[in-house]
Amino acid sequence: MNKIKTPAELNKIIAKNSVKTDKPCIVIGTGTCGIARGADNVVKAFKKELKKHNLESNVDLKITGCHGFCEIEPYLTILPEEIHYIKVQPTDVKKIIKKTVIEKKIIPDLLYTNPETQERIVKEQEIPFYKKQTRNILGNNARIDPQNIKDYFGIGGYSSLSKALTSMTPEKVINEIKDSGIQGRGGAGFPTGFKWEFCRRAKGTKKYIICNGDEGDPGAYMDRGLLEGNPHSVIEGMIIGAYAIGADEGFIYIRDEYPLAVKTVENAIKQAREYGFLGQNILSSHFHFDLKIVRGAGAFVCGEETALIASIEGRIGEPRQRPPFPAQKGLWRKPTNINNVETWANIPLIITKGSKWYSKIGTEKSKGTKIFSLVGKINNTGLVEVPMGFSLKDLVYGIGGGIPENKSFKAVQTGGPSGGCIPKSLLDTPIDYEKLKEVGSIMGSGGMVVMDEDTCMVDVARYFLEFLQDESCGKCLSCREGTRRMAEIVTGITQGKGKEGDIELLQELAQVVKDTSMCGLGQTAANPVLSTIKYFREEYETHIRDRKCPTGVCRDLYISPCQNACPVGMNVPGYISLIGEGRFSEALELALDTNPFPSVCGRICDHICQSKCRRNQLDEPVAIRELKRFIGDYEENNIEYPDIQVSKETIPFKVAIIGSGPAGLSCAYFLARLGYRPTVFESQPVAGGMMAVAIPEYRLPKRILNREIANIKKLGVDIKLNTRIGKDITISQLWSQGYEAFFVAVGMYGDRHLGIPGENLENVIQAVDFLLDVNLGNPIVSPADKKVAIIGGGNSAIDAARTVNRMGAAETIVLYRRTRKDMPAYTTEIEEAEHEGIKIHYLTTPVRILGEKGKVKAIECVRMKQGDFDKEGRQRPIPLDNSNFYLDVDMVIPAIGEFSDVTELFTGLDVELNRDGTIASDKSGRTSIPGIFSGGDVVSGPATIIKAIASGERTAVTIDQYLAKDRTRQYPWREHKIVDTYFDSEAEPMGYGMQKPRMLLLNQRLGNFNEVSKGYTKKTAMKEAQRCLRCDLEIDLKEKLEIDEKEAVC
Amino acid sequence: MLELSINGIDVQVEEGSTILDAARFLGIDIPTLCHVEGLTPYGACRLCVVEINKGEQARLVSSCTYPAEHGLQVWTHTRRVVEARKMLIELLLAMCPSSKTVQDLASAHNVQKVRFKVDYSDCILCGLCVRMCNEQMDARAIGFINRGKDRRITTPFDVKSDICRTCGACMYICPACELRCQGPHPPGDVCGGCLNVEPVCLEEEEQKMCFMDPCGWCYKETGRRKTEKEK
Repeated sequence: MNKIKTPAELNKIIAKNSVKTDKPCIVIGTGTCGIARGADNVVKAFKKELKKHNLESNVDLKITGCHGFCEIEPYLTILPEEIHYIKVQPTDVKKIIKKTVIEKKIIPDLLYTNPETQERIVKEQEIPFYKKQTRNILGNNARIDPQNIKDYFGIGGYSSLSKALTSMTPEKVINEIKDSGIQGRGGAGFPTGFKWEFCRRAKGTKKYIICNGDEGDPGAYMDRGLLEGNPHSVIEGMIIGAYAIGADEGFIYIRDEYPLAVKTVENAIKQAREYGFLGQNILSSHFHFDLKIVRGAGAFVCGEETALIASIEGRIGEPRQRPPFPAQKGLWRKPTNINNVETWANIPLIITKGSKWYSKIGTEKSKGTKIFSLVGKINNTGLVEVPMGFSLKDLVYGIGGGIPENKSFKAVQTGGPSGGCIPKSLLDTPIDYEKLKEVGSIMGSGGMVVMDEDTCMVDVARYFLEFLQDESCGKCLSCREGTRRMAEIVTGITQGKGKEGDIELLQELAQVVKDTSMCGLGQTAANPVLSTIKYFREEYETHIRDRKCPTGVCRDLYISPCQNACPVGMNVPGYISLIGEGRFSEALELALDTNPFPSVCGRICDHICQSKCRRNQLDEPVAIRELKRFIGDYEENNIEYPDIQVSKETIPFKVAIIGSGPAGLSCAYFLARLGYRPTVFESQPVAGGMMAVAIPEYRLPKRILNREIANIKKLGVDIKLNTRIGKDITISQLWSQGYEAFFVAVGMYGDRHLGIPGENLENVIQAVDFLLDVNLGNPIVSPADKKVAIIGGGNSAIDAARTVNRMGAAETIVLYRRTRKDMPAYTTEIEEAEHEGIKIHYLTTPVRILGEKGKVKAIECVRMKQGDFDKEGRQRPIPLDNSNFYLDVDMVIPAIGEFSDVTELFTGLDVELNRDGTIASDKSGRTSIPGIFSGGDVVSGPATIIKAIASGERTAVTIDQYLAKDRTRQYPWREHKIVDTYFDSEAEPMGYGMQKPRMLLLNQRLGNFNEVSKGYTKKTAMKEAQRCLRCDLEIDLKEKLEIDEKEAVC
Repeated sequence: MLELSINGIDVQVEEGSTILDAARFLGIDIPTLCHVEGLTPYGACRLCVVEINKGEQARLVSSCTYPAEHGLQVWTHTRRVVEARKMLIELLLAMCPSSKTVQDLASAHNVQKVRFKVDYSDCILCGLCVRMCNEQMDARAIGFINRGKDRRITTPFDVKSDICRTCGACMYICPACELRCQGPHPPGDVCGGCLNVEPVCLEEEEQKMCFMDPCGWCYKETGRRKTEKEK
C-alpha cells in the first residue's frame, strides 16, 4: 500500500472515494447491540443468498456499526433507494433479495411504522426517532464500514488533519478548539481547549495524549457506538490533538468488555499507519505521532484520569490526589492530556467546519451536540444525539417515544452512578452542564436511564450504592466506608429495617463523602442518594414508617404485588384462591373484611392491582376485578358480616359523617365494626354519593349498591337523607347536640364551566347534573331524538354519552381536545362506547354554542393540532387557524371536570382549604380543626372509588384514636389473614389467558339501562381464579407476620 | 519561598511543602492517621482535610498531599471541616472500635456515639504497613488486593511470603492493632470521655478560634469556660 505523503494525494483519494454510484448496496448495522439481536446471522444469510443468485459482484454488502435505534435492530438500508427495513430476521433475507433488490419493490411489513399515525416510513432519516436529532457525529455511522478506511475517505476523512497540519499552527488549533467552546464529553465538562493549552505549556519535551474509552456506567454505550462505528474520527481527532499539544505518543484505553471495539480500533490504527497518518513525518509535516491500544481490565474507577494513568503504567488502577494534574505530571510523570472518546470524535468536525459554525450549536454556555444512550423504561431505546439545551421532556417523550405500556414517567437518571435522578416536575430542564448540575445531577458521559411508575427510588439508590461500593477502589476511607455504610443503611430501609433518623444520617454521611473523597468517583458517589432523597423523600419515609414499598419492588415489604397496590390492601390472593376452590362465601367474607363495597368495586374500580399482577409478564393479568364482582353476585342473598369482626360493646361517642359516598360510608362501616354508632348525613334523597347519582345503572345497578349499603346500615349506622349540612343544620349545631367528631366526605359535586359563549342556553346541561337527574328518575331535558354533543374525555363524559344514547338520542357525539390515548376514561369504556355507535371527535374543541330562540342549535368547534409535550407526556393541543366548523346539535353536555365548594358547609368554621378549594388535611384525615376530619375526593380532588374507601378506613382509625385515646387498640381488618387453600408451587401455571365476562349484545342494550356486563359464571370464575400465581406464597408468611409484629412492638 | 495564608495567618514555606507542613510550622494541630514522616504521603484516611478557597470555590482537600501554592487561602478548622472529620472518625470507629488510636481520635473530637453497625475489623486500611514495608524496609512483602469493600492487605497470592523478614515494622506502625484501655465498656461504646477537648467556639463561630487547651476564646468572651448548661 502506498503511503499518502502530501495533502494533494489525500485530496485525490478522497475525491475518488466520494463518488456516488448507483450500484445496489445493502447496509447492515452490526454493532455489538445488533449482533446481540442477531444481525450477524442476517449478514450470513445475505452472503449466502447473494451467492445463490450470483449477485455478489453486482450488489455490495456494507457492514456498519450501530446507527442508533437499537430498539428496532437488526435493521438494514438498501441503497441507492434508501429503503430501511427493521427487525429483519434471516428468514426475511430471501424475500428482500427477490422483491427489493431484484424487483425493486418495497416490502411494507418490514418498514418502520410510526406508532402515532400508523403510517409506514421508507427512509431511515424520516423515522421520527432520527428526524428529531442533530446527528453531527453519529450520523456517519450509517455511512461507514468501520473496517474500511476508504469509507472514511468517502466522507472527507482525514481532510481536517491535513488542514490542521498544513494551514494551522498548534496555537491556532488550540485557539480554534477554545473558540468552539467544546467541553469534555466524559462528564465533568472541563473546556477542552484550555486543557490542551495547559498541557502544551507544561514543561517537558515528552508529552502523551490519551483517549478515555473506559465506559463503565450501567446503561451507557455512546463511546462503544463511536469506537465500533467510526474509529477513524477518534483517531483523526487524537492526531490533531497531539499536533496541537506537542505529543508524539498516544494511548486509546478501551475496556476489555468491548471486544468488537478493540478489534475495530486495532484494525483502524493499522490502516491509518499504512496510509501514513500515524508514524513519522505525517503528510510531510515533520510531525511524528503514533498510537497504541491499552485494554482496561474492568474497573469502573479506571475511568478516573489518575487511576487510568496508573492502569496504563501497569500499576493498580487507583487514583491519586490531584494536584499535580495530569497536564503537569501524568503518564510516567510527563505532561499528559486525557479526553473522552466523544470529545476526540468532535475535533475533526470543529477543524473542518470551524469554531464559528460549531459554537452556534447549543446554548450560551454549553456548545455542540451530545450523544446520550437512552435506555430503561422507554419505547425507543438507542443512541441519541441532540444539541445542548434540548429539553429532557422532548428527549423522553419526543425522541424516546414515551414510556412502554402507557405507564407514567417517574424519573430519569443522568450521568450513571455519579449522576442523580431527575423527577417529572423538572422535565422541562434543558440538557446542559449547568442546568443538570443545578437540579442535583450531572451530564456525565451520557447515560440516561428512564424509570417508570413501577420503579422504587429507594431501590434505585440501593442499586447504585451497591455498584459503587464494589467499584470504589477502596483507597480513601470516605469513599470506601462511606459508600459501604450508605449501602448498608439503604439496604436496611428496603428490607423494612429502616428507622427514624436514617434519612438524616444518610444525608450527613453523603455530604461528607462528597466533600472529602479523593477522586471523582467518591465525590459524586453521593449523588444518587442525595437526589433521590431530595425528590422522593416521601418514598423513603413510607419505607421507614409504614414499612411499605408503594411500587412493589422491595420484596421484604409486601405480601403480594396486587395486595400492595390496592389502596385498602385487600387480600387478593386469599379470596381468589378461595374462589378457585369454590369456597365463595368464605371469599366474600375475606373481601368484606377490608372493603365494604366488593360488588361495587367489582364493577367500577380502576383495578390498579391488575396492572401490577405478575401473571401479566406471562400472558395477561388475573381478572381480579371481575372475580371480586363474581363472589358478590354469586352470594347475593348470603352476605352475612362475620360477627367476630364487630365489637360487642357500643362506644358512646357520637360521630357525624357528612356525605354518604364511598369515603363516608366506609368510614361509618369501620367505625361501626369498632362499636361506634355513627350518623351519616346525605343531602340527596338517596345514599351512596357519586356511586348512586353519577354512575349510570348499566354500569352499576342500584340494586347492587343498595344491598351493600343495607349491610352497612345493619351494623348500626344511621343514614339521614335529604339533610344538607350548612343549610338544614350546621356543624356547630351538631356539636352542641353532642357530636364529638365529624368526617367531611362530600366529594366533588360542581361541574367546571367551559367558559365559552352560549353556555347559558337552554339544553346545555352539566354532566353531573344530567346524570344525577337521570339516576333520580326525573331528567329535566330528555335527549330522545336529539343530536347531543358531550364535551370532555373522562369517565363522566363517556357515562353521559352512553346514557344519552340509551335514552334514544338521534346522534351522540363526544368532543375531546386531545387524542384517544390521552383520554382519562377507562379504555374499556371508550371501546364499549364506540361499539355502541357513539362518535368521538378527537383534537376538537368547542369555541361557541349557537342558539336559536334561547335553545341550542349548533356548536362551533376548532380543530387542534398536537404541540409540545407536557410533563405527563401528553402533547398540548393547539388550535389550528381557520379550522372552525359547525356541528348541528340540540343539546350540549359539558363534562370537563368537577370542583368542590365547601363554604356553605363550613359556615362559621375556619377550616383551612387548599388553593383549589379542596380541604387541607393530612394523610390520616386531620384538618386544621381538632375533631373535624376529612377524606375522599374533597381532599384529594377527583380520584377513584377505592382511594375514597381507603381514605374512609384511615380516617375511621384516626377518629377512633382521637376519641377513644386507646393507642393499644388493634384494628382486626388490618391484620393479614392467612387462608388455608391448597397450592401446588411445583405445578406449571394454568396455560390459558384471561377469561372474558359475558356481555350484553348490542341490540339488547338500546332503550334500556340493563347492566352491560353480565360477569362470570361459576365455572369461568373458578377457571380464572386458578390462573393466580400466588405471589403471596413466595415468602414465608407466618414468619413475616411475626417479624412485623416484633418490629411494631419495638 | 511560597507565601500562603492559613486561618488568616500568613506563612512562608519552601517550595514542595504541603499544606500540612505549613500548618504544623504554625503550630496548628491537624489530625492525621495515615500520614507518617518518612513515608510518602498517601491521602487515604482523609482526616487531615482542610478547606481551601472561599465561597463557591471552597472545597476540602487532604492537607498531607496538597502542595502549598502561592497565595493559597487555607482554613483548617471550619465547621465543615470539623464535621467531616467527626463523621470520618465515626466511620473508623465503626470499623475498628478496639484501636486505641481511633478511640483517642474519637475522644479528642468529641465523637460520642457510633450510628453504624460495629464491625470489629482488625484493619482500617490506612496503608501504613504497606508503605513501611515497601519504602523503609524495602521488602515489598505485603500489598493491597481487591477493591472497594473487599479491599484488604495480604502477601502475594495469600501465601506465606519468602521475602518477609518478619522485621515487625508493619506491626510497629499499625494504628489498629494497638489495643485501647480495657475498661468495663459495652460493645461499640466509645471510651475516653476523659479526653474531650472539642473546640467549643464552633457553636458560635464558623471556625475554631485558637489552639490553646482549653480553648481561650471562651475565656475572652465570658472569663471562664462555658459549662454544659450554658452551651
